Amino acid sequence: MFRHTPLRYIALALLAAGALFQAATAGYFGLEILIEILILAMLVLALDMVAGFGGMVSLCHGALMGVGAYAFATFGGILGLTPLVSLVGAIALTGATAWVIGAVCARSHGIYFIMATLAFGQMAYSYVFQTPFFGGDDGMGGIERLDLTALGIDLTDSRSFALFCLGVLGLVYLATVAVLRSGLGRSLTGVMHSEQRMRALGLTVWRVKADVFGLSGMIAGLAGALSAMHIMYISPGLLDWTVSGEALVVVILGGLGTLVGPMIGAVALVVLKHELSAITPYWHLVVGLLLIGVVMSRANGIFGWIEAQIGARLDKRLNDITRPQPTEEPRDA
Amino acid sequence: MTSDLGFWTLQALNALQLSMLLFLLSIGLTVIFGLMHFVNLAHGSLYAVGAYAGAAAAAVGGFWMGLFVAPVAVAGMGVLLYSGLIKRMRRSGPMAQVLVTFGLIFVLLDLTRIFWGDLPLAIEKPGFLSGRVALLGIEYPAYRLFVIALGLAIFTGLAWVLGQTQVGAMIRAGVDNDAMAACLGINVERLFFTVFCVGCALAGLAGVVAAPLLSVTPDMGLQILIPTLIVIVIGGLGSLKGAIAGSLIYGFVQTFGAVLAPQLASVLIYALLAAVLVIRPMGLFPAKG
Repeated sequence: MFRHTPLRYIALALLAAGALFQAATAGYFGLEILIEILILAMLVLALDMVAGFGGMVSLCHGALMGVGAYAFATFGGILGLTPLVSLVGAIALTGATAWVIGAVCARSHGIYFIMATLAFGQMAYSYVFQTPFFGGDDGMGGIERLDLTALGIDLTDSRSFALFCLGVLGLVYLATVAVLRSGLGRSLTGVMHSEQRMRALGLTVWRVKADVFGLSGMIAGLAGALSAMHIMYISPGLLDWTVSGEALVVVILGGLGTLVGPMIGAVALVVLKHELSAITPYWHLVVGLLLIGVVMSRANGIFGWIEAQIGARLDKRLNDITRPQPTEEPRDA
Repeated sequence: MTSDLGFWTLQALNALQLSMLLFLLSIGLTVIFGLMHFVNLAHGSLYAVGAYAGAAAAAVGGFWMGLFVAPVAVAGMGVLLYSGLIKRMRRSGPMAQVLVTFGLIFVLLDLTRIFWGDLPLAIEKPGFLSGRVALLGIEYPAYRLFVIALGLAIFTGLAWVLGQTQVGAMIRAGVDNDAMAACLGINVERLFFTVFCVGCALAGLAGVVAAPLLSVTPDMGLQILIPTLIVIVIGGLGSLKGAIAGSLIYGFVQTFGAVLAPQLASVLIYALLAAVLVIRPMGLFPAKG
């Protein structure tokens, strides 16, 4: 189950402060990078929810995000619905898609689960790529952002949009924590540790997996719709499996099953990508070596490593009545 | 109508040629997985490296030189990878392996770009394979027939080694139960190593064989990876029968799908994969019962 430690509160506060500072002071380019980070952070929260707390390592979350983006664009651009209705529709549709995928894949484990989700993701990619209705490989343009002028907010402005995304990310984080703390989230972690035991306790295992996968898909769909609003243009590249792979890389670099870690990972990857691609065209090489190093070091990502180093000591000092705080988060799926 | 029959023959040969190429790649991957329970996502990158090494050697000594050098070079790389990385990752979970080899994809992709640049390379077909051959009433490129023949030859060879020889029996024992095989005095570790290198060599061979058909680009490894994974998951991990069955299914579904229902072609193969995973989660011919 997910637990907030003082260290996690500190990290969250730092992240929020950093994002607010960036949103207040950065120029156009800085804001674009911030928005990119915020949207990626939503996606990796969704992925960490299923991978870190349910052992469901999904390689279709990028595709789910793409489904959200395409649903949003289709509802708005072709059916002519208002952005708000399109947004709700996109979230619902992506959630339903994810629920079905989760239900179908619930019986597979380990590498088969990875492959099965990959297959569904690629199916969505090929379908969108080859369907003229969705613009094929040309993608779709002219996507509208949400209209919040009634609240006095103009989202066409980059700064407002960045703050809006930050707010949404905050809500997504709270929702994720709430889900993981609910009975459903606890059942999920139980399923990860032993399906047999949970089944013996009378739980319908596939329903738990499918439900959480659906919820995670809703978050991915939301991230997709926001990314469509952000760029105002979408292309099938959004659904490609490398996007899902990259999201998984972020979760691992940050720290699987910590929620805070993947968000740090999102910051690290986007900043690294922009800094490195300014220096060398071969930034993939550096990211690849980094990934290999992190996985082989057996630390649980950047945040997991920090937690292991200072977390235990800090916790002891801060809550004195203490239960000893081992790193109880599962490291491997 | 003869032209109609010719059309079917042509497409069947195309499908067969694609299947054989995929077979060369998937057999290495699937036996490595079956024997070592190791998921090597970088297998496609090894194929790309094979194509590049083959192209470099072919530029010096012609096609046959490339055909010889590519598997050797990639097997050499397999030795490095095995001793540097894979040996240490053997006992990790599938997720750590997926991630390490995913990182390896990035590294190999950029290394090929650094060494050979972004522009596509090409390999000249050898003279006597560059023409067309009249076959069953149609004209078919000789080189593609060569690919089919090579694939079939390798399949036959592997079937013989795995089915009839002592080494083959040891490998099958290792796939079935490695602890028991070790108890019987088989040096499983050395067996793993050999199989891994042979798998790498076959990936390199596939790369150089594919090079004259497709152009040699840095992302060719990424493009072939997904079809290869589909093949081994449909066929069932770890078995020769699964690899050849999966390759044939993929080749024929993809080729005939593209001709008969272009709208559905690529979705079709993924739908098939999903169906296989739902009905038979371990694939059609898993190595273990």
